Amino acid sequence: MTAKPMKRRAILAFVQDKPGTLNKISSLVRRKMYNVDTLTVCKAKVPGVSRMTITLREDDEAKVTQVLRQVEKFTEVIRAKELERDHSYWREVAIVKFELEEKQFKKLQQRYQLEVLDRQPHDIWIVQIAGPTDRLDGFLQDLGSEHLIEIARTGVTALEK
Amino acid sequence: MQGTELVLKALQAKGVKYIFGYTGGAIMPVFDEMEKQQHFSFVMPRHEQGAAFMAQGLSRASLSTEHPQVGVCMSTSGPGAMNLVTGIADAHMDSVPIIAITGQVATGVIATDAFQESDVVGVMMPICKQTYMPLAAEEVEKTIHEAFYVATTGRFGPVVIDIPKDVQLQQTAPDYQFNPRSFRPRLPGFYYHPSPERDVLHRAIGMINRSERPVMFCGHGVIASNAGAMLQEFAEKTNIPVAFTLHGLSAMPADHPLSLGMMGMHGTIEANRAVMNADLIISFGMRFDDRVTGKLNEYARNADVIHVEIDPSELDKNVATTVAINADVYRTLHVMLSDPELVCKPRRRWLKEVEANRRTMQESMATELEKGVGQEGKLLMKSIVSRLSDLTEGRDIVVPDVGQHQMIAARFYNFQTANSWFASGGAGTMGCSLPMAIGAKLARPDERVWSISGDGGFQMNIQELGTVMQLQVDVKIMILNNGYLGMVRQWQTLFFDGRYAGTPMQSPDYELIAKAYGIPYRKVTLLDEVEEALRFAIDHQGPCILEFICDPSEIVLPMIPAGGGFGDMIVSNQAE
Repeated sequence: MTAKPMKRRAILAFVQDKPGTLNKISSLVRRKMYNVDTLTVCKAKVPGVSRMTITLREDDEAKVTQVLRQVEKFTEVIRAKELERDHSYWREVAIVKFELEEKQFKKLQQRYQLEVLDRQPHDIWIVQIAGPTDRLDGFLQDLGSEHLIEIARTGVTALEK
Repeated sequence: MQGTELVLKALQAKGVKYIFGYTGGAIMPVFDEMEKQQHFSFVMPRHEQGAAFMAQGLSRASLSTEHPQVGVCMSTSGPGAMNLVTGIADAHMDSVPIIAITGQVATGVIATDAFQESDVVGVMMPICKQTYMPLAAEEVEKTIHEAFYVATTGRFGPVVIDIPKDVQLQQTAPDYQFNPRSFRPRLPGFYYHPSPERDVLHRAIGMINRSERPVMFCGHGVIASNAGAMLQEFAEKTNIPVAFTLHGLSAMPADHPLSLGMMGMHGTIEANRAVMNADLIISFGMRFDDRVTGKLNEYARNADVIHVEIDPSELDKNVATTVAINADVYRTLHVMLSDPELVCKPRRRWLKEVEANRRTMQESMATELEKGVGQEGKLLMKSIVSRLSDLTEGRDIVVPDVGQHQMIAARFYNFQTANSWFASGGAGTMGCSLPMAIGAKLARPDERVWSISGDGGFQMNIQELGTVMQLQVDVKIMILNNGYLGMVRQWQTLFFDGRYAGTPMQSPDYELIAKAYGIPYRKVTLLDEVEEALRFAIDHQGPCILEFICDPSEIVLPMIPAGGGFGDMIVSNQAE
């Protein structure tokens, strides 16, 4: 019996771009006994500020609020909030290497708008796919794990509407 | 200027007088500069952990004086810094502002497993408020000023500054633009909100006015913001009784008619019953620790909760609030007291109920207190502490260690002086008493300071007798020796069928120990010797050690078992 997966949450934090910040936030998430689903960091619009998007799984609203407040307590964190799924875009990118006959490949390419980065002999492809997590998951399912050679995913980054 | 000069320049500008430090390879340049300048009073502990607790004692005791000081401890890299860990984690749990300056190996060899290298920033990060590692001499001064700002602003806490040896030795042109007085660090993420918001305050006052059975909680935040007198005034004006957390004790006189004493696991009957039956809790500067609440889903079920707290991450953490006030306790009380809408109700019925519970408490203690000794005729800790309290009229500073004697001191010392009780609460660190008492005495030299330890805790930092000896710090040391780790033994008696695993403990001959350190000593085994020994300590100028041979079977009661609710309170020991 498997437990129902908990609700996926995205936490967006604007943090000072300096060493140790990532360490602090990831340590706190560990201490609160969460497993980070995905974590992405990039530069924000304001110089010296990074934006960090963390996704983790939790059903309890109060617990998420606690994590947010404790994240926000760090001197390096300027602001932290939860991104509601309905009011924000969550996207990720994957680079996928797989082996597939051309005919089947064309079908997938059309359905998922794959960008071909490289085509190697023996029907080996390297493609880029971008979109919501379930789109990437759908592609991988349609592809089938027996065709997959290697995959790299960025994890979720998100922006409010 | 050299990096080391900038370290000391910044410390001097922040009013630091004492440095608790232990030298070693990576911090030698700072010590060398200290020797040249002869500005600071240097205190050498016998173990770095002692330095951290001395710094805590100084910070905590000086908080209520005219010139609050921040305790500074210093150590070398690697093992020196690692020995500070416990004291810093303790300060973090109890929100005590201290600064730890640690030497680090030179930047060129960091992360190469150099001799005496530890990842100090990595280790300290989760157990302190902030960590710094300046990488150039010109960063040093600002870093130290920022560290003091962070340590003492908002909820207090320890800050660690790890300075590589080459940075200490680096030369830099002095920055004449830098003015420490006007310096405000640029911290866009540092949230500090001392003033209460009007509308939440109004809601709170409305709730207080409507309440028939309110109780106020006095936590560490009351002490930290020096708001004890104001809390008392508020209590008197509104006729609301006050229950204390371990760290809230001594904020107002313990025998005040509205004082309920300590609440929680070893709290008084009157405090815990008031919490259980209250319709409103107004809590000031505390965090609803599990030792205070017991089982959370049974906690104060009929009460609305107003929570005044400077740290927003504590609001709604353990107990859901009705009104959360994220502000400084002093400012909040100040505004509330002057609010014309605050109604002064007599609340006679509620106070009568409180009074009845207080009597139950006193009766349950009376026989034992009167007898003063246990079944085998050995001394009871409560009789020693209550005699100490009588003789000193509750005016002295008390620094307990951790364990049974700590809970007993919390309950039986009749605190009259504001901010006169310094304990390790959140972390519960055995061995804290002696070094913390040394720091407290240096902060308030005109007051008498008692370090009360059990035989277990005392032996954990017994080496600090060396510091007492060398500086002749006038600390009155009481060892309540029952031959066991008493609090754990108590749990073994109550919950582990009396199997005393790892708790019986032999002590050295403390008389010989005292003699070796040149400290006067008295041993007390009989009840009628207690007062004489305490009088000896009071009259004696300088440090002394009193050893009391105590009854190991004494149980600290009342007690709410861990994880239990307030209804599970054990009031008397049925076994006896």
